[in-house]
Amino acid sequence: MNNQTLLEIRDISKFYGNIIALRDITTSVQAGAVTCVLGDNGAGKSTFIKILAGAHQQSEGQVFVEGEEVMFNSPREALARGIATVYQDLAVVPLMSVWRNFFLGSEPTKLGFLNVVDREKASSIAKGELAKMGIDIRDTEQPVGTLSGGERQSVAIARAAYFGAKVLILDEPTSALGVKQSGVVLRYIVEARNRGLGVIFITHNPHHAWPVGDRFMILNRGQSLGDFAKEELTKEELTQLMAGGTELADLQHELAQATAGGGEAS
Amino acid sequence: MADVTNGTELADREEEEAQTPAAPGGDERLAYRGPIQRLLTRPEIGALIGTGAIWIVFWAVSDVFGTTPGTNSFLDVSTSLGIMAVAVALLMIGGEFDLSSGAMTGATGMLVVLLVKDTGELGGLGLPLFVAIPVTFLFAMGIGWVNGTLVEKTGLPSFIVTLGTFFTLRGAKLGFSKLFTDKVIVEGLDDAPDYEFWSNIFGGVWVRNNHLWENFLGGRDMVFAILAVLGATALILAVLEQSLTRDSELKKASFVTAGIGTAAALLGLIMLTQTDGIGSNWIWSLVMGAGLLVGIIGYARLRFVISRPDKGSLMLGGPVGIRVLIGLGLVAAGVIFGDRLDSDSEYVIGILLTTQGLRAIMFSGLVILGVIMMLIAARKADESPLTRFLITVLTAGVIAAVGFIIQAEAASRKFRAEFFAWIMLAALVLLIAAVIRLIFEQRRHTDQAADKLGRILATVSMILFAAAIALKLLWSTAAENEGAGITTYRVSILYFFLFAIFATWLLMRTKFGSWTFAVGGNKSAARQVGVPAARTKTQLFMMVSGAAWLVGMLIAFRLNSVQANVGDGNEFLYIIAAVVGGNLLTGGYGSAAGAAIGALIMAMSFQGIPFAGWNSDWRWLFVGVILLLAVMVNNYVRGKAEASK
Repeated sequence: MNNQTLLEIRDISKFYGNIIALRDITTSVQAGAVTCVLGDNGAGKSTFIKILAGAHQQSEGQVFVEGEEVMFNSPREALARGIATVYQDLAVVPLMSVWRNFFLGSEPTKLGFLNVVDREKASSIAKGELAKMGIDIRDTEQPVGTLSGGERQSVAIARAAYFGAKVLILDEPTSALGVKQSGVVLRYIVEARNRGLGVIFITHNPHHAWPVGDRFMILNRGQSLGDFAKEELTKEELTQLMAGGTELADLQHELAQATAGGGEAS
Repeated sequence: MADVTNGTELADREEEEAQTPAAPGGDERLAYRGPIQRLLTRPEIGALIGTGAIWIVFWAVSDVFGTTPGTNSFLDVSTSLGIMAVAVALLMIGGEFDLSSGAMTGATGMLVVLLVKDTGELGGLGLPLFVAIPVTFLFAMGIGWVNGTLVEKTGLPSFIVTLGTFFTLRGAKLGFSKLFTDKVIVEGLDDAPDYEFWSNIFGGVWVRNNHLWENFLGGRDMVFAILAVLGATALILAVLEQSLTRDSELKKASFVTAGIGTAAALLGLIMLTQTDGIGSNWIWSLVMGAGLLVGIIGYARLRFVISRPDKGSLMLGGPVGIRVLIGLGLVAAGVIFGDRLDSDSEYVIGILLTTQGLRAIMFSGLVILGVIMMLIAARKADESPLTRFLITVLTAGVIAAVGFIIQAEAASRKFRAEFFAWIMLAALVLLIAAVIRLIFEQRRHTDQAADKLGRILATVSMILFAAAIALKLLWSTAAENEGAGITTYRVSILYFFLFAIFATWLLMRTKFGSWTFAVGGNKSAARQVGVPAARTKTQLFMMVSGAAWLVGMLIAFRLNSVQANVGDGNEFLYIIAAVVGGNLLTGGYGSAAGAAIGALIMAMSFQGIPFAGWNSDWRWLFVGVILLLAVMVNNYVRGKAEASK
């Protein structure tokens, strides 16, 4: 596993008119490592993703891909540099089969101009790629809609990886999932990392981020609360930071008082 | 999140699992779906069963429907409906509607006449057909392109945009017709100088009575029988390949069993066809049936794994036993009911039904329900192969018994002989299936090689059956020609079939087909992964208008004149046919072949109702009921398909 820096983000800010959506964010993504971006709702996570995915452009600061400064003007450009984004509302067609979804838009064909899809090849590649991610699809002919939420995420992740992504941006992949399914997705994140991809894992759940992350960047109201390597902090500190530290302590205090008061009344 | 502990631990666990070798060629979590279950999840399956049922109903109540002229008449009606329904189905899968499709058929037909004709004082264009026909085609493509581009550029629903095109075309047809000819009809296509050549292409006919097949290769019926037997063999082999587990070595001793069985089956069949009246010759029927059973088992022993001797204990308590009893009761009720009512009475109950009709409906309804109930009971007894076997054999026995009752009671030859033979065949198939299931191990995993061979064999059998039917429909014998009317097939039937096959291939096999499903299923997702959504949809609109061009030419060359209102209002028939064929109104799911079958269903009911001697005004009621039934069945089937894992 090499530790080459795939993506470096230096002091980027984004202003929408006079609204400051992001200010001076700095972090990096290594090959074979997971960078977790944590933040509550409205912390600026989506803006951050959109800049990296090429949907928006930063107002200030620099983004480096493999040491080269870039400015993405469209999602296509980001994709061309190997940065693939898997959004929360996945780009899958539920009624289509797994293999058709996997290759949608880039189908392998045979018989030249007739553009006949090579079903066997597509099906076996899809099965193989998913197996590499540690997910054993029962039947690649089954509609994607019949897969569980976690499996659907994994299809999208495996597809991005297969089509040459170096950095994978995962937008809240676990937020809509149950405990078990989240575990499934976390395993795919680890799998993608083990295959040498750089992963940016966006989440608001420190319990999901901690086991898989190598680097943590916490966003709060558009500002970075810090960019830490895993050795630099503990899970408790991460949770504290994430929950806004003192705010949580205050809340706990208030709740304790309320409960105590309720006890006396009854 | 106690189960997620640490990233590296997770990775370790993952590696461990990766090292465990997977079961060869299979996945133990996947309950392998046999050929029947897979067939049942196809979108067009509801329509296919419906076609069979409707065909049987009209065949039973009418003398003409099952004959060659009857078949020709519903095929003829199905063509223009079917060509359009197939194209409309593709567009619907792509998530759009085209309400101008009906009017477009008339518009293209009319345009070609106007281009060719020397019209009144304004002066016609007087173009030769070889110019006029391509120009009309370009016109059709243009309309499709306009429809598609308008829908894509404006983002308006295609329902509204094409409604606009529909009225535009409708008005233009009337207006131009009046302007040029002062009538609401344009006539005189046959005045064109090169009419003969094009008339053969779009209006060609095949007169069955002129095509005699007497002694070539042993006569038409001999060739038909050989094709049918080969087709049936391929089908049996296909089902066996796809349902059983292959053995690593051939058990050569079973060659003899298989050979003897096959020889006996063939001997029985040949002797049956040599003697007059299938179903009346006991010995040869039995020889054939027994031969089939022995032959198939012998072949299966040769190739496939025999299951464990443990057959489970008899399990007749609870829901299984109750279902069997209900099933038997229903069949008995049907038989008793049928026996009670006098078959000769034409007494009319209420307004619609004669006692005889009621008798037939009650009898067949109760018997079918009873048999289905017993088959469900057999399915429920899945844990005990022995119980399952016994119930299935009992069901086969019941079916055979019903066959004998029908043979004894029915007045007409077609029930006593042909229908009886089919019922006996059904009972035999069920019996063989039960025996095979009991003896051999069902395949529970995917076996690429066997599945592929099975698919090829199934395709071959379908081609052989189609060839056999085509042979019988297209060629006549001197004996058949005597006293029978003249059957003239139009070339449009051929175009319909070819187009349906082409569209199915396009949808299932090509990139374009994949994209069609994708833009209808989830357009934004399709865009995100690089599918040119706008282009795909515009191409689909152009395909519909291209089909409308073909239908327009067929109409024009059939009558040599086109009325201004031709095709108006038919767009809903196309959509109905597509929906009956299993296409989803919301897009993203469906089948082109299904739409073709849907068109056949509608044509059968349109033509079958007058053949049955009913007032043809009932046809719309029939269409309405079929549409509702089809939508409900398809909805149910799709639910099952999505749930199947």
